[in-house]
Amino acid sequence: MKVRLRAVLNLSLILLLAGSVRPADAADLKDAIRNLYGGQGILLEPLPLPFPSQESRFQASSLQGLDQLNSQLTSAIGVPAFNSSVTGFTFDIERGVPVRTTESLGTLLTERATTLGARKLDLTFTYTRVNFTKLQGKDLKDLELVFLRGDANGNGIRDTSGPFSFESDVIRARLSVDLTEDIFALIATYGLTAEWDVGFVVPVTHIRLIAKAHAAIFDQFGNPGGTKVGDIPIHRFGPNSSRPDASGGGDETGLGDIVLRTKYNFLRHYDDLVPDMAFLVELKLPTGDEERLLGTGGTNVTGLLVASRTYARWFTPHVNLGYEIDTKDTRQNAVRYALGFDARLLPELTLAAGIIGRAKPDGSGTGDHIVDLSLGVKWNPIKSLILRTNVQIPLDKNSGLRADFIPTVGIEYIF
Amino acid sequence: MPILTTRIVRLLSTVWLLGAVASFPLPGEAANIVALKGADVDVYDEALDGFKSVASRAQISEYDMEGDLQRGKRFLARLKSGPKPDLILAIGIWALQVVVEEIRDIPVVFAMVLNPSTVIGQEARNITGASMNVPIEQQIALLKKASPQARRIGVIYDPSKTGFLIKQAERIASDQGVRLLPKAIASPKDSFAALDAMQGEIDALWILPDVTVLAPESVQYMLLFSFRNRIPLLGLSENQARMGALFGLSFGSGRDIGIQAGEIANEILSGRRADEIPFTTARRLRLTVNLKTAGKLGLQVPKEILDRADVVIR
Repeated sequence: MKVRLRAVLNLSLILLLAGSVRPADAADLKDAIRNLYGGQGILLEPLPLPFPSQESRFQASSLQGLDQLNSQLTSAIGVPAFNSSVTGFTFDIERGVPVRTTESLGTLLTERATTLGARKLDLTFTYTRVNFTKLQGKDLKDLELVFLRGDANGNGIRDTSGPFSFESDVIRARLSVDLTEDIFALIATYGLTAEWDVGFVVPVTHIRLIAKAHAAIFDQFGNPGGTKVGDIPIHRFGPNSSRPDASGGGDETGLGDIVLRTKYNFLRHYDDLVPDMAFLVELKLPTGDEERLLGTGGTNVTGLLVASRTYARWFTPHVNLGYEIDTKDTRQNAVRYALGFDARLLPELTLAAGIIGRAKPDGSGTGDHIVDLSLGVKWNPIKSLILRTNVQIPLDKNSGLRADFIPTVGIEYIF
Repeated sequence: MPILTTRIVRLLSTVWLLGAVASFPLPGEAANIVALKGADVDVYDEALDGFKSVASRAQISEYDMEGDLQRGKRFLARLKSGPKPDLILAIGIWALQVVVEEIRDIPVVFAMVLNPSTVIGQEARNITGASMNVPIEQQIALLKKASPQARRIGVIYDPSKTGFLIKQAERIASDQGVRLLPKAIASPKDSFAALDAMQGEIDALWILPDVTVLAPESVQYMLLFSFRNRIPLLGLSENQARMGALFGLSFGSGRDIGIQAGEIANEILSGRRADEIPFTTARRLRLTVNLKTAGKLGLQVPKEILDRADVVIR
């Protein structure tokens, strides 16, 4: 009991420290890309008289394009999945013997139906590194945005010939985005009863978003400089315009979105055919500062039905199926699913693998269906100490904001 | 010479008495008890809580074997090399197994053990405790109450595992005016033929806490037999009742068994010898009644049974 009390006190201290981390720079990281050109879009150099001013002709489209990219990137940053191990014993009343439930040490990112056990406390500390490399299949280091100019003669189209053919000039902005997340998560799970777990995940996130852009003007045929009148380019950068090269972003560190979880194992050892079943409810709270990209800014509620079954005391396939409701933006509501297994290869070593998916029925078009492969191992070197490592590999890099792979390492102790 | 003899006898008596007094805690002195848990299981923790609630004045040190018999043996080896406790509480079958092997001279009370006599030999005079077995009298009485016309109760068993239970059950059944029809099996696959041989011969079927009998295929065949022959099946747990047995009768809770063990420990610490105290069976029971099964069997479960049931599956 003293050990558990100490663990809880340590936990409180960590939470306190996590909450006290302040941003080094108060600028909103969330709008880093939107504000690349000063937050007003791209403004061009005014033309000398008697030419009419063209300085704000690309302002709307550049603002819109940057804003869209900004939203695509920032809305796709989320908290990776976490869970706790399942270990220990249950009791077989009929035979009067404990039954080892450590046929495996449990899954890594998905869920099994079995719970931790009454009055047990599982504390896990993980570190996850996410280095985003692709957005909708495009390399984040080499993104291109094309900004179109407004209609000059009011005919409703962009002329490609005649005196107003300069309407078809474009600004191409090449962007290089460096977006990484380092997530330190403290995961605590406590068994209220043999069938009922409660817990929470407290992530402390360091996020780095650095965007660099270079904008250039082209005519409709792709010639640099755009359309000219004589020697004078109609659209141009100059000392009084936005600079063609821009950069922005920074680092933020702080508390992410805290997740509260509870799992109830309502069916266990029913018979040989029916799997163990549990219901999991997760509540993600908007504790992370959305403006600093540390949280999503909304409260999410997830209900997940979990089924698993252990065969031959070492192999446990499992299925998770549920729905996540984003109370802030219903377009982010998602069907969550997972299919996988964990297998106890050695008494102290478990391999876990699974497919993890998330599909947004009313999604915005970015990352509406993402599917990852998760592979990992858990090693139980001594007593109740478990070391875990996992890698999450996107199976479809053309959907959403993706990393090439997401490694996680962690240490776990069950009191 | 007679005077010398008398003095020697007096001296020996005094030494024995001092030894006896020294071996038990004095009034007001907390007894030193070592609680050895076979594994970290909720129900064992409940038993320990129950034990502590009764043996509240004792100083109890806990040790968890974590399911490892060798670990338990190593712990007991260390224990034997130091100051001896007044009593050892062995919680669970694994703890009892290592204690039986290693401890001869310290009183041992067990808790949460099924069929303890299969582990404890006749020569172990320092061991007693609270088993989690359900009293046979109550099991047979329950079947009789549910089906008053039942006169023949079928049971399959492995003689090497539960032969002793069958001997007791035959006597108790006879006292209650019913006949036990036991069929011995040596492996789970024998259960099919054994049950088939009982067809038409029995009025009720009883599942014993016997590892051979509890193989999933055997239990499933017993459930099938019960439905086909429309006879009640008495199972060992709520789980078996949910699977289709008419009744599931098990020990009430780990805490109850722990309390029983604590009461036995108190008797020993008060000076009674362990071999004077018989093993106990579960005092409080947990009954599950499956009314869906009753309907399929065409049985009307008496209100008296339903009133005392802890769980009724409708």
